[in-house]
This record gives sequence, structure tokens and C-alpha cells, in this order.
Amino acid sequence: MFKDYPKAIVTKDGESVLLRPVKPEDEKALNEFFSEIPDDEQWFLREKLDDPEVLHDCLQKLNYRRTLPIVAVREKDGKIIANLRLHLSMARCIEHVAHLRVMVHPDFRSLKIGSWMILDCVKTAMDMGLEKLFAEFIAGVEDAAIGAALKLDFRHEGVLKDYIKDKHGGYRDLIIMSRDLQSKWSDF
Amino acid sequence: MKSEAPLITYQDLVGPTDRIETHCGPITICGSCQPAFLRNSKLDAGLGHFSHYSSIIQKLEAFETYASQKDGKVTLAIADPNVVVGYCVGSYPDPTDRWAALGDLMYELAAVEVSRNYRGCKLGEKLLAMTMNDDFFEDKIAYMCGYSWHWDLEGKELSAAQYRSMMKQLYSKFGFREVYTNEPNITLRAENIMMIRVGSRVLAEDQMKFRHLRFGMKPK
Repeated sequence: MFKDYPKAIVTKDGESVLLRPVKPEDEKALNEFFSEIPDDEQWFLREKLDDPEVLHDCLQKLNYRRTLPIVAVREKDGKIIANLRLHLSMARCIEHVAHLRVMVHPDFRSLKIGSWMILDCVKTAMDMGLEKLFAEFIAGVEDAAIGAALKLDFRHEGVLKDYIKDKHGGYRDLIIMSRDLQSKWSDF
Repeated sequence: MKSEAPLITYQDLVGPTDRIETHCGPITICGSCQPAFLRNSKLDAGLGHFSHYSSIIQKLEAFETYASQKDGKVTLAIADPNVVVGYCVGSYPDPTDRWAALGDLMYELAAVEVSRNYRGCKLGEKLLAMTMNDDFFEDKIAYMCGYSWHWDLEGKELSAAQYRSMMKQLYSKFGFREVYTNEPNITLRAENIMMIRVGSRVLAEDQMKFRHLRFGMKPK
């Protein structure tokens, strides 16, 4: 499944970027990545990967059958500039679906790296035989990612009103989007 | 004294051959078929136009066009007597294609297809094996573009994602791997796929030019 990695993309400013699964040796570069995410955005991280101990623990227990973490790495210096996590379930009743979360370094937004990562995730999920992919985005915070997902044929599945509380106590909606992965000929 | 014209053998017309036994009967895989051979062949009824699917090649003349191009490749699966039941065709990219910017470095495997009546015999794999068994490819970046709208999803009873995985598995046996590009036809659907095989004598510099070209940056 991973033999096509690393997969190269070139951003519109000519930068070569490699997409590949996370390895335990990425700890230093990932710590740097999460430390450079603005405080207001770190607040929304569900898995607290900005905490070096949590990240260390997570990297020691990498299990691609449970969570497939993919990073975008700037080729010239190995800097991690985006991180995507595809969460799979071991429960048989929901093993046909997966959830993705993506985060792009603030200095590398508007280069469509998030879009390439979501597309890569969609293709990988197809190759894994998954049937449906879900993504959750915070309204007003991840609007660019919502736009990218829409362009990649995700559709709005629902809204959880005021599900998220921001650092300042304000409420935000959680937008749930999904994408079917197994189109038949009759769907085209 | 008048010299005799050199004899043209069957082998001259069909190139290297491989005779295989399948559950559909004996099939001959013919590499490098020449136009003269094609004139005496016919297409199997399982290659053609169907309600939800049309073969990429529906006329024998199309094989002649490929075979007569510079370095054009036509590999055929032939059932007795001279019935084309599958094919693999290759050529340099069309001058209007993005990939033509790298000249003869790029070589397209334009189509691999097996008749609906002869599927399940691994003919696609045999056709690719015969085509790729050529030192010619060590100087090339061979590529294939799989567009889901060309796939016989109904006939294979597969989803587009399953068909895509089948294509990946087939081509990866011959050293191909998936690459990303912003070429508009490929990006139109996530199921679409571009795969490449980089020949062992292709320079790193040329590989980098190709990477940039994939994202619309023409080589300087």
C-alpha cells in the first residue's frame, strides 16, 4: 500500500514537496511543526500533538492500521509543512469508513498542499477498499480546508451547532463532510 | 543474375511471440506487430461499442497507425484464426500533450485492453510483459494515464476505485508507480491515475524536469 511513497508534488512557487507516512524519526521535525502552529489553532488540536510527550508516545505506538499519519516534507531541507491523519476503526461495524484531519503550517498555506494531501488521502482510502471518508472542520477556522474538500467532491453531511469552544470562550460550529469512495458505473 | 527478394516470415510480421493455454483456448501474444499482419486479422466481438462502455480501439486501422509511427508498439493477443482479443499499444506522446515538451524521453502506453469474451486469462499482464520486455524502455519514462470514463466498470462489475486498484496492481508488476500531476484530465476524478516507470538510464536531471512538468512548469 505504501510502495508508491514518497509521492512528489511541486507547489506553484516551484518548491518540491514529498508526501509520505510518518516515521518515528520524524519526532524532532514534527515537534517543530506543531510548535509553529499559532496558539489559537493549537487550541483546537484533538490529540494534543503539540505536547512533546504526547507526540513521542504517539510515534512510539505507530500502527498504520489504526491511524495513518502522512506528512508533507519540503524536499530541500526536510521541514515538515503539513500533517494529515487518517483515522481507521477496528470495529467491524464502522471499518468501512475513516476520518481525516489535516493541518498545514501557516507559512505554507495558499499553496494547495492541503488539497494535495486530502486528494492523496482519498486515493489511499480507495486503495484500502474503504467506502466512505469523513472530515470534520471548524467553521470560521478551517474554511480553506472546507473549500478544498468541496473541490474534491466532499459534501456537507451535517453541522453540530456550537460543538466547539474556542480559546476565548466563543462557540463555533463543527462542519461534518463526507465523500463516497466506491462509485459504480451508474453513478457517473 | 537477378537476386531474390528476401523472404518475409511470420516472425517478421508479428515480432516475438508467446503461445499460452487459457480457459478460453490457446492464445498467441505477438509483440511488435507490423501493419501487413494486421490486414489479415479481425477484432473479436468483445472489443467494440457497448451500452456503457466503448473500447478505445474499435478498428484494426488504429493498430496500423500505431505500428507505423516512429517506435510505435503494438502487442496483440491473438486467438485462432487471427482474431485480436486483446492489445497493448504505445507511442511517443501526441505533440499537443503536455508530456511532449520532454521529447523522446517520454513514451506513453496508450492502452491495454482485453475483449469482454477473454477476460480472466491474465492477458493484460501477458500483453504488458511482452511490451515492456525491451531495453528501449531503459532510456524512457514510460507512462500510462488511466481515465475512469474509459473503464468497463459494468463489464467487470467493479467500482471505479476497485478498477483503479486493479490497474495499480497490474502496472506495478512492471515497475510502474503512481505519481501526482495537475494535468486537468487526470485531476478531474480522484479515481484517475497516472503511473510511470523510470528507465534505469534516465538522468536524475530529466526526472526532475518531468516532476516539474507534471505540475505545469515547462523545462527551460
